[in-house]
Amino acid sequence: MTTKTGDQESPQASSSQGDQLSVKRAPPPETPAALQTRFRVIAAFWAVIIFLGFPIWWKTTSIYRASLPIEEMVDWADGKACRPVFPLDIHLATPSMQSFEAQHLLRTTQHTLDDLNEFAAHHLRLKLTNGTTTAVHNGEDNLEYPAKETADTALTVRLLPQDGLASPWSELHAAATQLDIFYPPSQVPVPSSSNSPLSTFIAAELQQLYGEEKATIAHILSGNTAGLDSTSPQLAEDIDRRLRRSMKYAETYHLSFSLFTPGSEPSSWDIEAAVKEYVSPLLQALSPISNFTVDTQVQLYANFAPTAPKPEYDESEAAWTLKKEGLSAFVNAAEWPLNPSIGNGPTINFILYVPDPSQSPLIVKENRASSWIVPQWGGVFLLNPPLSNTGEQSAPSNPSHLSLDSLGPAFMTFSHQLLTLLGTPSTPASLPLRLQTSIRIRAASLLLSASSTMGSLARLTKSLPSIPIPATVATSVSTTLSHLSASCVHLREGRFGAALASARVAETEAERSFFEKSMVGQVYFPDEHKVAVYLPLLGPIGVPLVVGLLKELKRIAARRKANGAAS
Amino acid sequence: MALLFRFLQAFALLLLASAVVAEHTSNWAVLVSTSRFWFNYRHLANVLSLYRTVKRLGIPDSQIILMLPDDMACNPRNAFPGTVYSNADRAVDLYGDNIEVDYRGYEVTVENFIRLLTDRLDEDVPRSKRLGSDAGSNVLVYMTGHGGDQFLKFQDAEEIGAWDLADAFGQMWEKKRYHELLFMIDTCQANTMYTHFYSPNIVATGSSEIDQSSYSHHADNDVGVAVIDRWTYYVLEFLETQVTSVTSKLNLGDLFDSYDESKIHSQPGVRWDLFPGGEQEGRLRTVVDFFGNVQNVEVENANATEPGSLKEDLAEIARLVEKWQNRDEEYSAMLADSATNVTEDLHSSSLHLKLKSTVGPTKMAEDSSWGKRLVGISVVGACTAIWVAGSFLGRSSV
Amino acid sequence: MGTSWNQQPNPHPVMAVDRRKIAVFGAAFVLRLLLTCLFPSLPDLLTGRVEVSTPVNSFKRLQEGLFLYTRNVSPYDGGVFHQAPLLLPLFALLPDAKSWPLPTAIFYFLVDLMNAYALMTISASGQSVKSRLHSAVRKHVRWDGVSVAAWFLFNPLTIATCLARSTSVFTTSGILFAISNAVGGNSINAMLALGFASYLSLYPALLFIPLVLLCYDRRLEGPSPPSAGSFIIQHAILLLASVAGLLGLSCLITGNFWEFISATYGFHLLVPDLTPNVGLWWYFFIEMFDSFREFFLGVFWLHLASYVGGLTARFRSQPLFVITSLLGVFAVFKPYPSISDASLFFALLPLYRHLFPLMRYTFFAGSAILYSSLLGPAFYHLWIYAGSGNANFFYAITLVWSLGLSILLADTIFAALRDEWEQEHPEQVGTEVRQV
Repeated sequence: MTTKTGDQESPQASSSQGDQLSVKRAPPPETPAALQTRFRVIAAFWAVIIFLGFPIWWKTTSIYRASLPIEEMVDWADGKACRPVFPLDIHLATPSMQSFEAQHLLRTTQHTLDDLNEFAAHHLRLKLTNGTTTAVHNGEDNLEYPAKETADTALTVRLLPQDGLASPWSELHAAATQLDIFYPPSQVPVPSSSNSPLSTFIAAELQQLYGEEKATIAHILSGNTAGLDSTSPQLAEDIDRRLRRSMKYAETYHLSFSLFTPGSEPSSWDIEAAVKEYVSPLLQALSPISNFTVDTQVQLYANFAPTAPKPEYDESEAAWTLKKEGLSAFVNAAEWPLNPSIGNGPTINFILYVPDPSQSPLIVKENRASSWIVPQWGGVFLLNPPLSNTGEQSAPSNPSHLSLDSLGPAFMTFSHQLLTLLGTPSTPASLPLRLQTSIRIRAASLLLSASSTMGSLARLTKSLPSIPIPATVATSVSTTLSHLSASCVHLREGRFGAALASARVAETEAERSFFEKSMVGQVYFPDEHKVAVYLPLLGPIGVPLVVGLLKELKRIAARRKANGAAS
Repeated sequence: MALLFRFLQAFALLLLASAVVAEHTSNWAVLVSTSRFWFNYRHLANVLSLYRTVKRLGIPDSQIILMLPDDMACNPRNAFPGTVYSNADRAVDLYGDNIEVDYRGYEVTVENFIRLLTDRLDEDVPRSKRLGSDAGSNVLVYMTGHGGDQFLKFQDAEEIGAWDLADAFGQMWEKKRYHELLFMIDTCQANTMYTHFYSPNIVATGSSEIDQSSYSHHADNDVGVAVIDRWTYYVLEFLETQVTSVTSKLNLGDLFDSYDESKIHSQPGVRWDLFPGGEQEGRLRTVVDFFGNVQNVEVENANATEPGSLKEDLAEIARLVEKWQNRDEEYSAMLADSATNVTEDLHSSSLHLKLKSTVGPTKMAEDSSWGKRLVGISVVGACTAIWVAGSFLGRSSV
Repeated sequence: MGTSWNQQPNPHPVMAVDRRKIAVFGAAFVLRLLLTCLFPSLPDLLTGRVEVSTPVNSFKRLQEGLFLYTRNVSPYDGGVFHQAPLLLPLFALLPDAKSWPLPTAIFYFLVDLMNAYALMTISASGQSVKSRLHSAVRKHVRWDGVSVAAWFLFNPLTIATCLARSTSVFTTSGILFAISNAVGGNSINAMLALGFASYLSLYPALLFIPLVLLCYDRRLEGPSPPSAGSFIIQHAILLLASVAGLLGLSCLITGNFWEFISATYGFHLLVPDLTPNVGLWWYFFIEMFDSFREFFLGVFWLHLASYVGGLTARFRSQPLFVITSLLGVFAVFKPYPSISDASLFFALLPLYRHLFPLMRYTFFAGSAILYSSLLGPAFYHLWIYAGSGNANFFYAITLVWSLGLSILLADTIFAALRDEWEQEHPEQVGTEVRQV
């Protein structure tokens, strides 16, 4: 620094030295030309400081903070901007009813439904379908991206008269969003009556069908506290448990299927066919909710962790057993190459464990189960393939190849585990309906989580004034807000697929804006520290410059005065 | 004004927090030593002892973030290479063969620590280096090193201030990255480090008051340096002798009551006021709520038949599989159509990724050197021509 | 160039000068050749020294870029090469320096000799002692061109730079030829040469103002003096055009404009590589808090640039002296200085032989420079190889080096001021000298 200072001063210091010399030794005053030169020198330095130095100082030390729509963000977080509602369109197909009868049935049923409903945000809207025959086929439509204009059809209820029934009964199509209700023709409500057993029955069926969904959504919207009063403690417990074990939402999940075995065999499996056969259909069905990638691996000689409890032989079961409390240590996290970092997004691990022939079959002691779920992590399946006794003396060995058929149960279980881990509700007993329900649940939770992230970001912005906010964050925030409102509108109009798509974008952008990498605040830097930063270098440079300027100003002032006095 | 606002905000958050069900779903531990060099052996031993304890109580490595700025086991001055001991009896080798260090050496910086807590990390950072906690996670943060009044030194080069730490926890709370947080720090003037915390659900404890040093417990004459700090030693003593299993019912109150100033030689502190319900509630949290892991494997009952059970699901999936096999091709065609709609909406999100420039592989080809020479000759020729032209013009103009 | 020879009366017989000239140039060439041949590892050793090679002039890095370039890979991939792209086709003409070191070495020797020739031209013009607005008091105290060239050619710093094949020598050529053409009256070529130097190393662009004033002063001595404003604007355009032409050519060669701009000029401006060197920047920016880095980058660059205005204003009558002292400033304060920058400053100093009697601290400055140039390598060794010292050892030495250069510079400037002052007050000449 010293050299720097010394030299910085040098033009002036030496010039002033020269001037001093001249003053001391040479009585003749400085010539006007010399004065002018000195003025120019000082002006040149100050011009650089003022026209370049200050802008640079301003530009480089100010923290860029893009302006964010704080009010709007807080409104979203407080739930003022949007009250999510879930109007479900239920189509009533009455192929064998008169239209006025159907109308009446619709009205009474709707009335009964409304009476039963205690959660206003989630309500069922009954509609009559015109084409009575086409209704049968739309079972699949829910899985596709819906047309922009119409609301999704949540369920088609087909009313079929059946002779010889005492009371109506229903049958849910397991593979379609369709509910068939068979009723005795005598129960068709007469227009005069305000109520009828049939409409009561339909309403009760529907209510029961959507009971869990309603409770779940209520649970989510109320911030994970007790949802509805009517929810049974059992159901509330179930919902809570499911939400706890399901993965955090991510735009992309990586599914990792791993075959682990302590020996050298099996060393190959029909994984490609198995994934295509058992997993892909489910993944396609889940595609509106998230993207998935699939990775597989085979690990031979995979041992348990030294601390993990060893399997014990159970005579009564004629099998090796693992204790339930020891299962959490089953996965040897330290040595098994799991949790790989595949891009961004969480990995869901599915482990197919083939025990050593000497420990086969291996089951869980308590209930003879062969699979379990590790919440928020993945699932494990113990596969005990038939052992082959090739040699006379040699111990039995595992097959070297696992065929598609032998993988069947494991991969079906994995599919089930995947559904569970993604938080798919357990009722109703129709997979398409359950997937639909999860679309709504996801839309609700994403809407909520993106909104709350907006609120967090807004509060963060206010509470940490030293944190920089790059323009990308502002862009992300505005994208989030626009998609949030789009999602809200979609929900209100019953287009849940579109609502979820918007909510996904909102969530992704919200996360991106909050976790923006450059938004790590400056290390705490009070103003007195800044003085310590600026002074050692700028002080020595600045002092001669300031003194020079002051002298110059004094001289000019003096000359003015002298001029004024002279005139 | 700002202070008032902050108070109000904290208050509002407190109200909100108290409504939350007091149960956690996962456990995370962040164990940080901040000093390097051989004579700071004890700081690394502190952290490794804690690491061993939380692992013993069931937190898996994937949920422990271990930051070690130096490698004592492989230090040339270590008389027992490959080992680290926290006690002169050398009964337990803390290094063992199952240590997963997530941040090591010069990766242990203030910036990385704050990025870890707030998860403001690059996309490429592996998950093992991330704190993946969420609204249901109990987080244990243990720090040790050399500190002073409201700061903790990192690696002799930089320091983290109590304000920075408080802000990092504040951001974690904002983004629901913890459910409850236990902050422990063993350093000189440790208790000053948590004075600025403002986010709720934190219990903080430190080894020494302001203007007090935090002392080492004892030295191992064969290792040649002090092997553990006093406060950590007695905390560990409690954990190792009293909290013997995950089912232990001992609570934080018991842990903090076990502090004995005459043994620790400094005044340990505890801060309860951020915890909903204050000291009364906080004392009831069990030690394993923070040091152990939730035991939550769900075994599937193959015989149950209630909706959503394995059996039901298997049947449904089988039906689905069957149906989809039939309609596979048809469906993928339809999906392709509808996919175009979806991609339009998702475009903005994928755009961001594309912008990131990636250095791809480049093919290296030995070009005929004549080509390059030709270019060279023409460049030199052009420059010379301009120069000569300049000479002519310049001379003529004079 | 012939014009300048004719304009100035030559004090020596032509034949004698030629013989001396040939002797000096030949000896310089042979010395370099001998050093290369007798100590074949010397060039590579020097190439690796941080005092000689910085990230922006290292021959090693050039070779890396050249390797990539000849294999059709962008030379800036990998972040090692940060020099101007036009050097690549030039060096592609030479045989591979690894297997055939001699042709490259001889090429560098020739460049050195050319630089010396340019120096002779500058010296012969006599601009340093007598220009349009200024005439030194001690005109007679001066060295002739051959001595100045010899001073340059036998300067150990120059020799080290030359042997290390640092690409700074091209910048040096650009600057020296710009000056020699300017004093020779060929302002077009002066601008072209300055454009070349600026294209290579960016910072010579700061010399534009004094150089154009030098050209202008020379032009005023001619028959048809133009107006100052239009003259400056014309030459600024000329400079920009030459730089733009070179950039265009580079763009043709590399294909990716922004890539090479950010890898070369971005690298000069933002100083991302903090490898130790003899300058002041690296240590400062290692220690600086990140959030203030940009601000202090601005401060350092402005500091460098701020001398241009002040010095030009003070020494309007001696533009050549402004250039000399600015080169001294650059040798101390530029982002990646090496000893080649100091050697350029030392090369121009003998032109001011008449100021030497007025200088007061030559002994101090000289011993500081000698001290640091001897201890610098030793401390670097202690720090990097022996591990028994730390960065502060080397940094302290670079501080001493910079201090020595600054004292010399300040002393020169003081002497020039004294000279001007004596010129204004001729009656004081004798007394003053005795006083000092």
